[in-house]
Amino acid sequence: MNTVTLRSETRAQIEKINQTDIVVGIPSFNNAKTIAHVVRAVQAGLGKYFPSLRAVIINSDGGSKDGTKEIVESSTGPDFNSILLNHRVEPVSRIAFSYTGIPGKGSAFRSIFEIASSLTARACVVVDADLRSITPEWMEMLIKPVLENGFDFVAPLYSRHKFDGTITNSIVYPLTRTLYGKRIRQPIGGDFGFSGKLAGFFLSKDVWDTEVARFGIDIWMTTTAIANSFKVAQSFLGAKIHDAKDPGLDLSDMLYQVVSALFNLMENYSDTWLPLEGSQAVPTFGFEYAVGLEHIPVTTSRMLENFRDGLFNLGDIWQTILGPGDFGEIQRLGALKNEDFVFGVNLWTRVIFDFAIAFHRRKLPAQQLIKSLTPLYLGKTASFINRARDMTAIEAEAEIEKLCMEFEQNKKYLVMHWENK
Amino acid sequence: MTNLLEMVIEPLEQVFLKFQVFLPNFVAMLIILLTGIFFAWLVKLILQKFLKAVKFDSWSDRMGFTSVMRKGEIWAKPSVALGRAVFWLLVIVTVMISLSSLDYETLNKLIVSFFEYLPRVFTAVLILFTGYVLSGFISRAMLIAMANAGYHYAKLISKAARVLLMLMILAMSMEQLQIAPGIVLAAFSILFGGIVAALSIAFGVGGIDAARRVIEKESTENPKKSNKDNIEHI
Repeated sequence: MNTVTLRSETRAQIEKINQTDIVVGIPSFNNAKTIAHVVRAVQAGLGKYFPSLRAVIINSDGGSKDGTKEIVESSTGPDFNSILLNHRVEPVSRIAFSYTGIPGKGSAFRSIFEIASSLTARACVVVDADLRSITPEWMEMLIKPVLENGFDFVAPLYSRHKFDGTITNSIVYPLTRTLYGKRIRQPIGGDFGFSGKLAGFFLSKDVWDTEVARFGIDIWMTTTAIANSFKVAQSFLGAKIHDAKDPGLDLSDMLYQVVSALFNLMENYSDTWLPLEGSQAVPTFGFEYAVGLEHIPVTTSRMLENFRDGLFNLGDIWQTILGPGDFGEIQRLGALKNEDFVFGVNLWTRVIFDFAIAFHRRKLPAQQLIKSLTPLYLGKTASFINRARDMTAIEAEAEIEKLCMEFEQNKKYLVMHWENK
Repeated sequence: MTNLLEMVIEPLEQVFLKFQVFLPNFVAMLIILLTGIFFAWLVKLILQKFLKAVKFDSWSDRMGFTSVMRKGEIWAKPSVALGRAVFWLLVIVTVMISLSSLDYETLNKLIVSFFEYLPRVFTAVLILFTGYVLSGFISRAMLIAMANAGYHYAKLISKAARVLLMLMILAMSMEQLQIAPGIVLAAFSILFGGIVAALSIAFGVGGIDAARRVIEKESTENPKKSNKDNIEHI
């Protein structure tokens, strides 16, 4: 196992701290606007819920130019008198440094895992630096299941608008659940709690020179935990509101990053998922409540236009991947009027399975293959939005559940074609 | 009488002497030829088995080589066709080597020029092969990127790009083969420049209204059609 190169002053800080109970990692890159709030919420949470445990906040920065690191180092803690019942017994140490290696969230996490292992932490948490809705309770929800209930991995569960997280809802959640048999609702949530043992396990994996170091770390962590039989749970954290993502990253790039990570993991863990059938709920912590979410105005006509343009331009590629039967269905969809457009769950399930099989068989270069999925995904998203427009959040969730059941029932199709390479 | 006999025998002796010199060379040629053919057959057999093992036919289907072969009325499997091509190439090389064993000056010159030309053929084939794969990759990447960006004419533009790339590659391989390099260069320049000029004229003069419509459509619709919307996809 290669270790991370840390600066001598960071090493000295770690040696000085020597041992800790909790490590909270915050990966960042130009998050000066929000990181002070995140650090304060983390400190308040540690003080409120774990006052007698030793804790370290680690900011693993990707070379920010806006003073993110300096804000972490200089930010003052919360006013304990106004928000807490008691003062911390143990102080919270803070380490802020620029990580080395391939630029990306994965490399930032690797440094956090390394430090957590060096400090023999019992529990670790990672939270995004761009969060606006983080509260001190997030620390309790992500750490307690590890320290008090013996779980190794705690995924987040958020209240989200019914139209948000469509890649998660239509691809990542149904596929992860179908493959690995665990119903983790937000596999790529980004805010996780995990045991020190699991941090060491993550660190021992030889993936830090691959795409995992750049992106796809979230799904990698979730899948690695499930596929290696670690005890997994999820905790309700309320709403997730954060700064807008990198505006330069377009939808097909996002889709490629997420789906390629998912498909690569399918290759690595085929022995685990091929024999599995059905899925089980995972223990869920926290009191779920409805959150007032802003109305999102969405126009599906331009999504459907993208779908039809995709059919016109990428039809030959889709036919190679989907075969004549399902491609015929897609062509039929392309001829429908906007108001009659319904992308059936059965067809969508086979589309995702066929793309996974095409990836497995290397039918096209990975990037081209996955990016060609974009118009199909937009068609599916438009269909879901049209259908769920007048639904309540619970009814919309029931639609996602239907899709998941369709994925599970059709798993044999995936298994059969996967094995006949 | 003796003189007459000598006059008859002497040429016969010379023929016999020449035959004495020729016969071992001829036998050597036959041996080289037969051994070479056997070796070529063996290489073909091993190559076809290897190509089958590495699923060359499926790869060829994916890369579009099979469809190119079908268009050229070649109906054998790509692995079989490649095996045969290598076999015949080795047979031709064997024939050339075997002919050199006859030790005729004219033949030797021909053989030397053949072997001098052979690397050019290899390079030209390599340029064509690499160019075909690369142009396919580039045009497909263009097609997907443009289709995702909402360009309605993505297919047409990517196909045009591939044709232009193939033209350039064809000109490069023809130049490598030294087949009328001046004419090839001129033809390529005229054709390439002609296409660009034709497009400019079509857009700038002939189809000014159509061009305006296309440009307006792409420039006004693309922001609308771009994938950026109000929902969070992840």
